[in-house]
Formats: sequence, C-alpha cells, structure tokens
Amino acid sequence: MKIVSFLSILLFLFSCQPEGAEYYEDLDLVYTNYDDEFNFSNKGTYSIPDRIVKIEGELGDGQLPEFVKEPFATQMLQQMESNMSALGWTKVEDPVNADVALFPAVWTNTSYYYWYNYWCWYYPYYCGWGWYYPPVVSSVTTGTLVMTMVADGDEYVEPHQVWTGLGNGVVSGAYNTTRVTKAIDQAFEQSPYLQVN
Amino acid sequence: MKKFIAIAVLVITASFQNAYCQQADYFSIQYAVSFGTGDLGDFISKPSFRGGLLEYRKAVKDNLLVGVDAGWNVLYEKKDYDSYTAGTETLSGIQYRTQNEIPLLIAADYFFSVDQPFKPYGGLGIGTLYSERTTDMGTWRIEENPWHFALKPEVGFLYEISYSTSFKLAAKYYHGFQAGELSEPQGYISISTGIAIHL
Repeated sequence: MKIVSFLSILLFLFSCQPEGAEYYEDLDLVYTNYDDEFNFSNKGTYSIPDRIVKIEGELGDGQLPEFVKEPFATQMLQQMESNMSALGWTKVEDPVNADVALFPAVWTNTSYYYWYNYWCWYYPYYCGWGWYYPPVVSSVTTGTLVMTMVADGDEYVEPHQVWTGLGNGVVSGAYNTTRVTKAIDQAFEQSPYLQVN
Repeated sequence: MKKFIAIAVLVITASFQNAYCQQADYFSIQYAVSFGTGDLGDFISKPSFRGGLLEYRKAVKDNLLVGVDAGWNVLYEKKDYDSYTAGTETLSGIQYRTQNEIPLLIAADYFFSVDQPFKPYGGLGIGTLYSERTTDMGTWRIEENPWHFALKPEVGFLYEISYSTSFKLAAKYYHGFQAGELSEPQGYISISTGIAIHL
C-alpha cells in the first residue's frame, strides 16, 4: 500500500508538464535572409507594386492573381514604405528606374493534426497520449507575409533575390494588422545592412 | 522474573544495535530540484522544480550498498522575444525550451557511519542519460534526443525516523558525455529529498 502511495506522489510530480504558448502573438515569427555579396549601401531607389499578391495556387496563362483586400493592403504597403524610407531608400514609380524592386505577397497554410481520439475505436491503448504537437487542436492555419527584394542592372544579368523578409503566425480568424505591421517593422529592424548612404 | 526481564532487555538492545550497525536494503522515492550546468545551463537557465527519482539499494557490506537509480527531470524556460542569427539568416520570436533528462544508472553508496540515526554517505553512479531537448518557435519544433554515457557522483545522508523509514537528502551531479545531435556534454545538479523504506 505504501508503494502505491509513493507511486501516486511520483505521478503527481511528473504530471506537471510545462505550459506552452498562450496567445496567438506568442507564435509569431520573423525571418530574414540576404545576399552578402550584394552592396546595398550604394543603392538608393526602389519600386513597389500598389497591391499585395495573395498566393492561392498556380496561375493560368493571362490570369491575374488574387490580391489582399483594402484597407489592409494599403496599411501593410505604407508600413513597408515607411521602413524603407527610414533606411534611406527613395521610392520611384517606374521599376525601370529603380535599383531594386520589393515584392510583397501573402498566403495561408492549414495543417491538420490528429490525435488520440481518432483511434479510440480501434484500441483504447492509443487514446490519451497526445501524439503530435500542438496536441490540443485539430487544425492550425498559419498566415505568411513575404517581402522579396529583387535587384537587376549592372551587378546581375537576371533579376536576383537579394533580401527576403518573412513574417509567419497563426491566423486568429480576423485580420489583425497590428501583428502584421509589427512583423514588417521587425523584419527591417533586424536587417540593418539595408541602410543606404 | 528479573532474570527474564534482564535477558529480554539485552536481546532487544542487541537487536537495535544490530539494526544501527548494518545499513539495511531500502527502496527510496524522492522529489528533485535541478539546475542545468554547462551547455544545458546555457540552454535553460531556470531551475527545474519538476523532477523525481526512484532508487533501490542492497547492502553488500555493512556500510556499502549497491543498486539502481531511475529519474526524470523536466527543465523548461520560455525565452523572451529575441533574434537568433546564423550566417546571413536571422529568426525572431519567442522560444519555448524544454529538456527532459532521464538517468538510468547502477550505483554504489558508501556510508561513513551506520551506527547512528544520521548516516552520511558518498556514492557514484554509472549508466546512461537520455536527453530530450525541444525548441519550439512559432509552430515549428527542433528536437534532439541522444543517449549519453553518464556518471553521477553523489553525497547525502539518511536519517532514521523509524525502524523501517528514513528521511533522505542528497546532492547529485549528473554528467552525460557528448553524444548524438547535441555537440556538448549535458550536465545538471540535482538536490533531492524523500523517504527510504527499509526492506
């Protein structure tokens, strides 16, 4: 009987598993990468489309992509332009006259997680273990904003990706521009090499 | 009658004396608080209050016991929002770091005193240490889970609170040598307390 009591205590101690994320924002990520052979400092002009592409599969010939709805697109574009301006870049309307072009796009991706209760009918042993992370949801939809900076001209014969800024987070069910604009700010903040003279 | 009482007292005294002169076999269950050291301490700087262990010891000499240890410690830390750079890549976000440490060891304890209720000892364990390190960031997870060859020096004491039960307090250092995906040895200090049931 004593042994049973001791094992109960042990199980109680071991049941205290760590907690994880509590809010959607806790899962937000910002990723950046750049071409370290490209000299950003001697550039100065950029162009940017006035709409943000919403990627939803492959496009057919002549088919236009989907775009992010207003006013969300304008809010995001203004945030990008504000950050580019703060780093010394000047926006030009015609991409022909720009040193680089900045292409923003978004997409969503839904992953499904199945866990114990799908297999309880088969054998109770497979119930209750929480096989996959995160174990308490059946699906999770993530949204991604990617900003791709492309250079052409003297240094590259073909358009070449010189910087990528990417924000990723779990979609909360409503447009939350605060989280997106925060991700845009963070992408530029962690890319000081974009500063031009 | 007086003679009988005298003999009875003598026998009882002798039996208690025998109990104190030889450390009995025991089974122990303990609660453990742990602190990572070295690479583990860099990964998770917060102490762990989630831990426990089981021990069995069998006396092979009056003051020498051998047996087995099995334990489980969960170290966890939520890092503040931060940026992590490798080469030209930078990733920012909140990291949730968890490391499970499960030692499975054979051990020997030498008791410096066995004829008093307070019984200090020093011990050494040898065996394996299973580490499961997970780093959660966003909806992504990095997982590394090597088995280490491990050593565990230990000091502590038993204090007899009844004929069959002792209080136990111990300080142990677990050292898992470098293995698998983790490029550094994994070590932690564990302060454990619990009871020992003499068999």
